[in-house]
Amino acid sequence: MALLETQSLTKSFGALRAVNDVSLSIEAGSLHSIIGPNGAGKTTLFNLLTGTFPPTSGRILLDGRDITGTPAARVAHLGLARSYQRTTVFPAFSLLDNVWVAAFATGKSWRGLIWRKTGRYPEVGERARQALADVGLLAKADVPAREISHGEQRQLELAIALAAGPRVLLLDEPAAGLSPDETRKMVSLVRTLKGRYTIVLIEHKIDIIMSVSDRISVMYFGSLIAEGTPEEIQRNAEVRRAYLGGVAA
Amino acid sequence: MKKPWILILASIVLLPFIVRPAIASEIWIFAIFGLGLNLLLGYTGLLSFGQSTFFGSAAYVAGWLLKHYGINVFFALGIGVGVGALSALVVGYLCVQRSGLYFIMLTFALNQLFYFIAYQWTSVTGGEDGMPGVPRPALAGIDFTNPLVYYALVSVLFLAALWIMKRIVESPLGKILQAIRENEVRAEAVGYNVPRFKLLAFVIGGAFSGLAGVLYAMLFGIVPLEAIGFVFSGNVLFATLIGGSGSLYGPVIGSFVFIWLSESVSTLWARWPLLLGVAFVIVVLFLRGGVVEAWTRFWTWRSSKHKA
Repeated sequence: MALLETQSLTKSFGALRAVNDVSLSIEAGSLHSIIGPNGAGKTTLFNLLTGTFPPTSGRILLDGRDITGTPAARVAHLGLARSYQRTTVFPAFSLLDNVWVAAFATGKSWRGLIWRKTGRYPEVGERARQALADVGLLAKADVPAREISHGEQRQLELAIALAAGPRVLLLDEPAAGLSPDETRKMVSLVRTLKGRYTIVLIEHKIDIIMSVSDRISVMYFGSLIAEGTPEEIQRNAEVRRAYLGGVAA
Repeated sequence: MKKPWILILASIVLLPFIVRPAIASEIWIFAIFGLGLNLLLGYTGLLSFGQSTFFGSAAYVAGWLLKHYGINVFFALGIGVGVGALSALVVGYLCVQRSGLYFIMLTFALNQLFYFIAYQWTSVTGGEDGMPGVPRPALAGIDFTNPLVYYALVSVLFLAALWIMKRIVESPLGKILQAIRENEVRAEAVGYNVPRFKLLAFVIGGAFSGLAGVLYAMLFGIVPLEAIGFVFSGNVLFATLIGGSGSLYGPVIGSFVFIWLSESVSTLWARWPLLLGVAFVIVVLFLRGGVVEAWTRFWTWRSSKHKA
């Protein structure tokens, strides 16, 4: 059954249709990738899904429930968590605090919000540590986020999303700007998350996409031009012409 | 007990021996005012240039009730906290949707709006002459007109305010506000309604300002028009930045430096604000963390020399 679905989703900025009539269906537990050249509208699609701005038309369904137009802060509570293409963390915070804030947001209750000490939320602290452990950063829990390497910041970026304990994980180019070595680490990380979460992945690096995805959707100038398994996408002539052909030949 | 608290307690005890009790009281009152501002400035990253709106409104309302209805001191303080919070709710509601320069200018503009209401409404506020005759009624046999007794009251309230603020900044709310300062977009994305939290910071800050406002009115027996003017908003901002907006104790130190300088040096030299200007330039150029940062830098420098 589809956990996350879009129906004829459209977003126009003036005359530009950044996302044009996109109907997607993300199966629960699957890893669904979205590929396409720069400016194809992938990140805009994520922004729509997470409520950064409302769509011009069309609907978004989570578990069959219409969540179109839900503001970003509410979307997080519905179980959608995202990571950003450009690292978006809390620089002055320790790594643990970075994930702690995210874990607290979606915690069971906000009782004691303005009075209780932050150390006295064992369940939140546990989830935060688990998120750091999942990305392999637990050893650096007390280091400020601004002092870790770019590669580690990308891992932290992912950990913040994980700390929310989401139902759907939206990953926007987790390997952006990583060295080949760091990229391999990130890919194996994403692989360990596969199956535990429903994942929507935006990525440029075709080899990553082909090796981890269950399904792939291809966007081109705002529209979906193909969808299928990695093998089907590789064989698809239109995709090759529009996208793969230009890059890999 | 931790070192800062011992230092503060010692200062509270010693201060009346060094300066007049009125000045000593003013220092702690201004510190309460600064604590409220710093929740916005240091923790949430919001530069509010209109804090005297809450300070002044509370001073006028509670001062008026004290003068005409003879309400008791604690009721007056409660009213002040309430008026401070309420005015901050109104101002904050209008401001939190804006960001950057627009936010700052809006806090300033609304401050001016309140100022001109106070300026024009002479039948109540006395306009330019201020509202004199604010009493300090005795309560349960305690005579607050005695400057030292009033100083004790101010000190206790300051300690309470400091302790409450410490709890707030160490709570999840404190962490969330700092997260908003660090990265508003991400704070929203992980599930916090950012404008709502900013508003909450405003209201808490307003409550602190209100408390300070009433104490100020009772201290001098008058609500001067300046208490709601933009210079006052600037002063508390100034003091907080000089003390260090990055830490809980920054505004306390800042208030100490600011009031002490303005009271002691101003009698010797009429151009004393020049000194403040220089201090401010130094802070902005070299010491973003104010006196608190200078202090920690000094100690790390000393301990590194000890090791060598």
